[in-house]
Amino acid sequence: MKMNLLLKICSAGCAITLMAGCSAKPKSDQPAVPAAVPAVTYFKVDPATTGSITGTIRFTGKKPMPKVIDMSEDPACVEAHHGKAFDESLVVAKNGSLSNAFIYVKQGLEGKTFEVPKTPVTIDQSGCWFRPRVLGIQTNQTLQVVNSDPVTHNIHPMAEVNREWNHSQGPGDAPLNRRFVKPEIMIKVKCNIHSWMHAFIGVVENPYYAVSKDDGTFEISNLPAGTYTVAVWQENLGTQEQQVTVTAHNSTASNFTFKGK
Amino acid sequence: MRQFPLSPCKGNSWQRALEAFLFCCLHPVNWQTLMYMRVRLRDCRVGLRETPRMSAFPRAGDVDDMKAEGNPDAVTPTRKIGLRRLAAVGLIASSTFSGLLLLSGCKSKISDRPIGNPVAIHVPLGLPPVPIPPGNPPTADSIALGRKLFYDVRLSKDNTVACAFCHNPSLGFTDGMGISRGVGGMMGVRNAPTVVNAAYLPLQFWDGRAVSLEEQAASPIADPVEMNQTHEVSVSKLAKDSTYKAMFLKTFGPGPVTIGRVENALASFERTILSGNSAFDRYQFGGDKTALTPAQIRGLALFQDPKRGNCAVCHSIDATYALFTDGKFHNIGEGVGDDGNFKDIGRYHQTKLEADRGAFKTPTLRNIANTGPYMHDGSLKTLKEVVDFYAGGGNSNPYLDKEIRAIALSGQERGDLVEFLKSLTGAMPPNVGPPAKD
Repeated sequence: MKMNLLLKICSAGCAITLMAGCSAKPKSDQPAVPAAVPAVTYFKVDPATTGSITGTIRFTGKKPMPKVIDMSEDPACVEAHHGKAFDESLVVAKNGSLSNAFIYVKQGLEGKTFEVPKTPVTIDQSGCWFRPRVLGIQTNQTLQVVNSDPVTHNIHPMAEVNREWNHSQGPGDAPLNRRFVKPEIMIKVKCNIHSWMHAFIGVVENPYYAVSKDDGTFEISNLPAGTYTVAVWQENLGTQEQQVTVTAHNSTASNFTFKGK
Repeated sequence: MRQFPLSPCKGNSWQRALEAFLFCCLHPVNWQTLMYMRVRLRDCRVGLRETPRMSAFPRAGDVDDMKAEGNPDAVTPTRKIGLRRLAAVGLIASSTFSGLLLLSGCKSKISDRPIGNPVAIHVPLGLPPVPIPPGNPPTADSIALGRKLFYDVRLSKDNTVACAFCHNPSLGFTDGMGISRGVGGMMGVRNAPTVVNAAYLPLQFWDGRAVSLEEQAASPIADPVEMNQTHEVSVSKLAKDSTYKAMFLKTFGPGPVTIGRVENALASFERTILSGNSAFDRYQFGGDKTALTPAQIRGLALFQDPKRGNCAVCHSIDATYALFTDGKFHNIGEGVGDDGNFKDIGRYHQTKLEADRGAFKTPTLRNIANTGPYMHDGSLKTLKEVVDFYAGGGNSNPYLDKEIRAIALSGQERGDLVEFLKSLTGAMPPNVGPPAKD
């Protein structure tokens, strides 16, 4: 009887130690869908107090030569892509404007919780190419993965903060619906089958992000008046930051220039 | 190695002991077999009939694996002498008891054992001898009866569905459907697996819920979404038919038609549905180096290379034969949902072991070109899709088998693997199609 009691005390002690040890460790293996969280108060944006940030991302320096992507490994891809595919890791227009840069509000929104949009963000595997190449999504917003191709893809977001996963999608398979629960700039995405396919996902906790268009411009609107750190990320050129003060009903300019060699 | 194919949980412990004894008399037995028999019989005793601890194809490595998993049953080969003695003593003891039991002349229930002379089942090139359970030696009569039953729609509720409905010989003993259907178009839950070479499998069904062909055979007859007919009704339908009456009498001797006799006859017929002597077999085991095309030879090399395709790690090719299955259960991620859960939890149904969630039995690859669509849920339509699925590393999930990972394979290499898979199509034996009308 005594022994039994002693054993129980010992095991309880061990369990507590174990639990303490676990909670101290950073958990990288969180579930894809978070457990139910207590009700939160979402920050209400008052349109009377908001303004926007607009700008252009530029690249100065020698423009990269267009590099053709060789898809001959999978003839079905060559056919599905309709014409030559070019490397899109650094796409600079004639006037130096830079597309596919990810711009987001890095600081200034602390303490505010934003409602998760109900509409999913879609990434399509089409022509053996991820479309779009760069995309933003809010934490816990649904990412819809579509395969429009006549071949099998295996999308693999190589997340480091979020859970890393990969999933096979054959021709005609239903879209996948996944979520990222933690902010992460940026998640590099590859296809496990087609080595040339790449995409980048920016996961942020608010709706204030943009991807620069073909002409290098972007706009982040409906932002409450205040001072923010705006950051821009480009897959080859790294990141830059700026302080921007937004006032109600005004558009504040925030331009970025990456210097090439 | 010869497996121990008896159904350990059938009958009482005395019958099991007797079966074990007879098995040891009839077969060369090594320590691995004894180990396996001990584990199976113990599992049965403690009510774990669905949880065999070791495959029926135990190899030296299995013991190490089990040890690594912290399995208390794992014994190192250095202990094998002691073990053999232990097992031998146990078996002598049990056989003595069995002898006493026989002498006491206890009358058992109606025998399901065929009465005719056992026949040898012809094995084509590339396959090992067919394991035969001691209680059901195949006879010409039991095989013929099983064949008739296999193609008989009267075993279904509305007389429309025979075993061959889902296991159609012209479709490699499958049905060509993603998910199989039963009587009245009832939707099943899984893809019909082939019957070809099922004789070699230690466990039947995708989740291994039957330990023998005998145990498997009658299960779909009573399944509400398959043939949906109780065994009582099946037996009474057959007993009313004079042809069957004569066949059962000839096969099993006097006595009524029983579901046990139906099971034994079906199982004996299924043991004859063997396919080997494919182009691969002629290349690998027949010494014909021209049997495979250059692409197929490259595909075979990739298939076996642990650092490349690594397919043979589960789809086994042995030194003298190839079953293209390890008979075990693996999670490759097929069927995992967006939430990380499996709609069909597979082997977990039987074992309730976390590691078995989403794990399904490795299917044979023989005649694979004729048995699409593929996977337990029939989700992959072509062999190219299957190869792409594995090249991509399947679908990640917490229970993914450690052997599943993305493999860098060029387009040509993936094509070579598909070509190799096509070389596994072998001829069917002559007498496995529908029997001639009486």
